Amino acid sequence: MTAPAGLAAERTALAWRRTALGLVAGSVAAGRLLAETWGASAWAVTAAGTTLAVVLLRAARRRRTGVHGRAAATLDAAEGTVRRDPGGRLVAACAAALLLLGCCALVVVVTWPR
Amino acid sequence: MSPDRTPPGRRFPRWVYDVGTEPDARFSLANERTFLAWARTGLALLAGGVALEALALPVEPGLRLAAAVVLVVLGTLAPAVAWWGWVSTERAMRRGDPLPAPVGFVLLVAGVGVAGVLVLVGLLRA
Repeated sequence: MTAPAGLAAERTALAWRRTALGLVAGSVAAGRLLAETWGASAWAVTAAGTTLAVVLLRAARRRRTGVHGRAAATLDAAEGTVRRDPGGRLVAACAAALLLLGCCALVVVVTWPR
Repeated sequence: MSPDRTPPGRRFPRWVYDVGTEPDARFSLANERTFLAWARTGLALLAGGVALEALALPVEPGLRLAAAVVLVVLGTLAPAVAWWGWVSTERAMRRGDPLPAPVGFVLLVAGVGVAGVLVLVGLLRA
């Protein structure tokens, strides 16, 4: 007896949500911290991070309801031979965005006034 | 065209999906969650590194900067490691090969350890 695939899809959707939440929290904190040095323009960081999080959430939801939901349903029907997975586009986009964020953070840390 | 209509041969990246056969969807989903766990780890490392400098903690400035740079560099490498892990695991599952050894654990543990020592010494020296 194995766990229904629907639960795996659910867990994955939750993991995407958790990641997006972390991104929002991080970008709010970054905006608040950077505002002391950069002024109001620092809130652009918050806006960018939140926008990215919303994009990730929407894409992940489309994946869950459209793709994984269907794949899970197929699997639960005990067949699961045909699967329509969109692949790693969202994964790659997420990794690229975080890589960019890391480079920005590196610039911030190195150029921080002290 | 909605993404769920993407024909099997056109999924990105091709060099992952052109090999082997389709694994159980649950395993692919678990692989995706592992990727996301790495992504969150990277976010936390970035937050830690930036906070170390931005909060002006009472740590000797040179060591504090060194620790912050170590954390932020790790946080920047994390998504690359996450992507590579996702790709190699997905490929191995499609081929029916044993899963690849985890990448980046040594780097992560060593880096966090080094940053911790730097902060500790910096606190004592401040």
